[in-house]
Amino acid sequence: MRDLFQYVPGNSLIHRLNPVTKIFLTVVICVAAFITDRIPYLLFLLCVDLGIGFAAGVPRKALGILKGLLRIAVFLFVLQALVVRRGTPVFWIFTDTGLVTASKVVLRLIVVCMPLAMVLAVTRISDLANALVQVLHLPYKYAFTLTTAIRFIPQFLEEMGGIMEAQTARGVEFDTKNAFRKLGLMLPLCAPLLISSVRRSEATAVAAEVRGFRLRTRASGYKQYPFAPADLAVLLFSVLLIAGAVLI
Amino acid sequence: MIRIESFSFTYEGEKAPALEDITLRVEEGGFAGIIGPAGAGKTTLARAVSGIIPHHYPGDYYGRILVGGLDPVDTSLTDLSRIVGMVFQDVESQIVSSVVEDELLYGLENFGVPHEEIPERLETALRQAGIENLRERSIASLSGGQRQKVAIASIIALRPRVLILDEPTGELDPVSSRQIFAMLKTLNEAYGITVIVIEQKIMLLSEFARQLIVLSRGKIAYQGPAREVLSHADELLQLGVNCPRVARLSMLLSERLGKPLPVCVNLDESEAQVRGCLHD
Ligand SMILES: Nc1ncnc2c1ncn2[C@@H]1O[C@H](COP(=O)(O)OP(=O)(O)OP(=O)(O)O)[C@@H](O)[C@H]1O
Ligand SMILES: [Mg+2]
Repeated sequence: MRDLFQYVPGNSLIHRLNPVTKIFLTVVICVAAFITDRIPYLLFLLCVDLGIGFAAGVPRKALGILKGLLRIAVFLFVLQALVVRRGTPVFWIFTDTGLVTASKVVLRLIVVCMPLAMVLAVTRISDLANALVQVLHLPYKYAFTLTTAIRFIPQFLEEMGGIMEAQTARGVEFDTKNAFRKLGLMLPLCAPLLISSVRRSEATAVAAEVRGFRLRTRASGYKQYPFAPADLAVLLFSVLLIAGAVLI
Repeated sequence: MIRIESFSFTYEGEKAPALEDITLRVEEGGFAGIIGPAGAGKTTLARAVSGIIPHHYPGDYYGRILVGGLDPVDTSLTDLSRIVGMVFQDVESQIVSSVVEDELLYGLENFGVPHEEIPERLETALRQAGIENLRERSIASLSGGQRQKVAIASIIALRPRVLILDEPTGELDPVSSRQIFAMLKTLNEAYGITVIVIEQKIMLLSEFARQLIVLSRGKIAYQGPAREVLSHADELLQLGVNCPRVARLSMLLSERLGKPLPVCVNLDESEAQVRGCLHD
């Protein structure tokens, strides 16, 4: 869980894509998932997600993310299937419409979340920020805020894990199987953790300022982010994905 | 290079001052070490010199500080940071990138170092910090000590005229700590960079720093050339600062032999002194 959002160094075709292209592809997959209303197409999109993970040389990561999402998905599936009361009953109190709708909701969730998490695994945070600034002309202030927030996720989880371990050692039942009980134990920890995060982000802002944060302009970046033929290929692929979602 | 005159500072909302009546000077090209027990005000002093106080920490500010002729109170933090580079005590909060190389690039890019000069600066800083092999690594995968070296490298790449390091070896093993100090010595001697280092390892400070400043409860307890300060071993111990064994040995010898001996600050000197005494 902790290293779910961490960058995995590599030199695959996916790694070398322009960061803006990667974000674009992610957005396209999300849009396609919401346009289409067919389960086979959603399954196809899921394969695309996994294919990207394998092509980027991070299959373990892709499967790890999938596994994490599946846990939430099961819960959501049951909930959704129970809520939808239309259609004919097929099994106990579940109806056919309910099961179909629930499958779609769950598949969409997975298809949308996977590339979001994977972008971070195959893109350096600073490349993301620089490309947003250079190519999309986003003001650097916002790019910095965004990337700092992303950087804090694993740190936050790490601290949370540390506290939970320490509490478990003192006999607090964090290792309980009961999810609700676990959540109840974790919630009170959030406030102190958030406070320390805010404090740390203030310190980061100061550290950035004494390293010339305010002097940074669009021309500051040392690395350039030109679009390559591979980016064009991804663009074409994106058009096909959307077209498929609309037509199929 | 750095002049502090009757400086006192109380953080907003605190009753007691964190620093009280501090007067000191560090010459251009000097190498000063600051030591003192926890809460003595070492970090506060570093913040004041780098201008983070008063720009980011409000409070009662008395006295006057000059850094390279600039007064932090009416100089912007950005302008001041062109002269002063600071390595923070909490390394984690200093890091802004996910990959080592990017972390070093960050300051270089911001301060507008010409792009053709950047590769050389990058490589030199990595080499000086002894982390050439970590260049492409993700920072999340590094140990605490390695991250500390990355933070140091990212500041020395900027070649500031004044370098302030707040406990830069806190997470390092003895060998790496010594390497870092050797690097500071090189920067100090070869490039004339003024170095101020806050450090708990007294042995390293006494060996490398030419000037020692002992802080205790917000005040300067002792300051002066390293040897002079270390001759107050008993008083230092009462403040919670250990003297290196070689220095204590010198004093023990001079006490036993009943004649004044110079205080040693490293093993070689100590060996020579002991041999000399045995010879007599
Ligand atoms: N941001 C702050 N707000 C209020 N008080 C502070 C703040 N930072 C430090 N202090 C107080 O100022 C005093 C000196 O703290 P400082 O951090 O300078 O000590 P230090 O010598 O660096 O200690 P350490 O060895 O633990 O790093 C302490 O009493 C501390 O509680
Ligand atoms: Mg401190």
